[in-house]
Amino acid sequence: MPHHHGHSRCRAALAGLPLAGLALIGSVLTSTARAQDILIGMATPLTGAAAESGRYAQWGAEMAVAEVNAAGGVLGRKLKLVIEDDQTSNPGIVAAFNRLASDPQIAVFLGSIRSTQVHAMDPDVRRVAKPVFFGGTDPLLTQAGDPWLFRARPNDSYSAKVIAAFGVETLHLQKWAIISSSDAFGSSGARLLTADLAALGIKPITQQSYPNQAADFTPVVLSVKNSGADAIGSYFTFEQDLGVFARQARQFGLRTTWVGSPSIADTAALHLAGPALWGTYGVADFNADSSPETHTFAEKYLALHHVPADNFGGWTYDSIHLAAIAIAAAKTTEPAKLRAAILAIQGYKGVEGTYDFDAQGDGLHGYNVVHNDHGKIVFVKRVDFPKP
Amino acid sequence: MSIALQLLFTGIGIGAVYALVALGFVLIYRATNVVNFAQGQFAMLGAFGMVITTEGLGLPYWLGILLTLAAMALFGALFNLGVYYPLRHRSFLPVVISTIGASILLTNGVLATYGPEPATLPGLTDLPGLNFGGLFLDSQYLAIIAITLVLVVLQYLFFERTLLGKKLQATSQDKEMASLLGIPVAGMIMLTFVYSAVLGGIAGILVAPILFVSVGLGAQIALKAFAASIIGGFGDIPGAIAGGLAIGVIETFGAFYISVPYKDAYAFVLLFAFLLLRPQGLFGEKVSQKA
Repeated sequence: MPHHHGHSRCRAALAGLPLAGLALIGSVLTSTARAQDILIGMATPLTGAAAESGRYAQWGAEMAVAEVNAAGGVLGRKLKLVIEDDQTSNPGIVAAFNRLASDPQIAVFLGSIRSTQVHAMDPDVRRVAKPVFFGGTDPLLTQAGDPWLFRARPNDSYSAKVIAAFGVETLHLQKWAIISSSDAFGSSGARLLTADLAALGIKPITQQSYPNQAADFTPVVLSVKNSGADAIGSYFTFEQDLGVFARQARQFGLRTTWVGSPSIADTAALHLAGPALWGTYGVADFNADSSPETHTFAEKYLALHHVPADNFGGWTYDSIHLAAIAIAAAKTTEPAKLRAAILAIQGYKGVEGTYDFDAQGDGLHGYNVVHNDHGKIVFVKRVDFPKP
Repeated sequence: MSIALQLLFTGIGIGAVYALVALGFVLIYRATNVVNFAQGQFAMLGAFGMVITTEGLGLPYWLGILLTLAAMALFGALFNLGVYYPLRHRSFLPVVISTIGASILLTNGVLATYGPEPATLPGLTDLPGLNFGGLFLDSQYLAIIAITLVLVVLQYLFFERTLLGKKLQATSQDKEMASLLGIPVAGMIMLTFVYSAVLGGIAGILVAPILFVSVGLGAQIALKAFAASIIGGFGDIPGAIAGGLAIGVIETFGAFYISVPYKDAYAFVLLFAFLLLRPQGLFGEKVSQKA
């Protein structure tokens, strides 16, 4: 019996050999194909409060990857996205980025559109020392000396300038209330807007900041209403908060002219707040009518995903194209050469605007002003500033 | 004066939602001696139930409410069978961990099936609200306050005036003695889970038109509701209601008169104060005074 048993085990082993061989060949082929791909790591919210916008960001990046690959790839290789969920939290994005960074084949990363998360991951970005595109708009992010951060959206020094200038000089608003979230994005935006209003000779008559995911905005609405403000300048981080505030403001009869940061005009906010946002103004890095490139992207995005495109998909779409351009120009994925190639990008017409990278890693230097006309976002004008 | 009244009204409205969820915490605690950390997710499921029935299936609002509450009752029974019943003879901790696991599973289950997009839900009435000389009474907050009041009265009558209510009370006070008296303890616990799930569902339906419907809805409410139940005296029904209303009012007044960014802190400052100075809560008895 033992002999017989030994035979059958031997036969089984011999029979298994071709299968093992096939598995080995398959594994080698897979790893060769993976080795030939240029990997781009993307940390984006798939769960948590910003999961909706995370999906839009993913769609934008996937569209750009498909376009680059359809045009033959980069350096004869295909691009491939590797996505990790950042859970809409600072610990979440730090963990997601480190999981991605543990793969040495990833050449370029896409970080977050939320400044607080980019601040959180910054020490790890410096340690990993590879290019990271991001969308957070706190100006400090590119001013803190991290050479690996590249912003694919205009920062809030521009948004605050445009909100203040448009509100004061075009709409002739004098008594300002500033509403902002208490996180890095909101605090930075409120500080910059205060400074830009001061430059125009105006001191806000009330400043209200709130914690994210605030269940009720009655105290904020009443404070603004009682202040007698004729203008609201806002920096809302999450669209749900913006929606709750907009609806309560309307219920309490607060009819103050409102000029907000980009979240006021994005798809999620329009869906949640509906008529409560009619008549508002916003500064928007993305607007479908701001350029032919943007228009083409917006149509393609709508056809593919059946929701209007906004900045969430726009900045990731541009980031992938910018990465592809830089890799092609550098002819390598070696980080230092890639960094130099990104900073050398000038005059690239993306869907968020025309990219002229400055030495600090900021690619864009202007905003669109838009108006919510009965739920439709109408392009008012583009305001660009000279590169510093 | 009108601002203070306005804040009081809003605070009571928000507090009523905390109170409804806190009631769920307390009822399950009384019946099983464990804390159900998925109570907030019951509210989230109720809100999604309304979205599915009214927006998805196009059913009338009232029918949506009935179907959602029926589904919540069934869900409460299944929750009991799946999450509590298999661990009923274990100590406090495994059951609590089981409910935490269930809350994570429910949140991610809804995320996976429904997606991350928040949905909107119309209020119970199309009327925006009533205006009394500058005091605006939002119709949804009015509905929340009125429905909470009715539920509290009905619940009081049920527990105090019906045999079934008395059986439930007996079960919560001493399960062994209740069993010796012929009360089907397992059935009473099942009924408690069913009722708590329905209560959570009602809270979700009521608050969804204000906060929108998203997977984060439950967590947003549950933490404050949990604090409310401790402030009221854990296990005490009038205490849970008073605790919820107190938190709603204090955080609203604090946000207006002190600082909005610290709004969430007021509930927990109050909680710390109670834990330090009156750990038995508003209406709870000191342990040493119990027989």
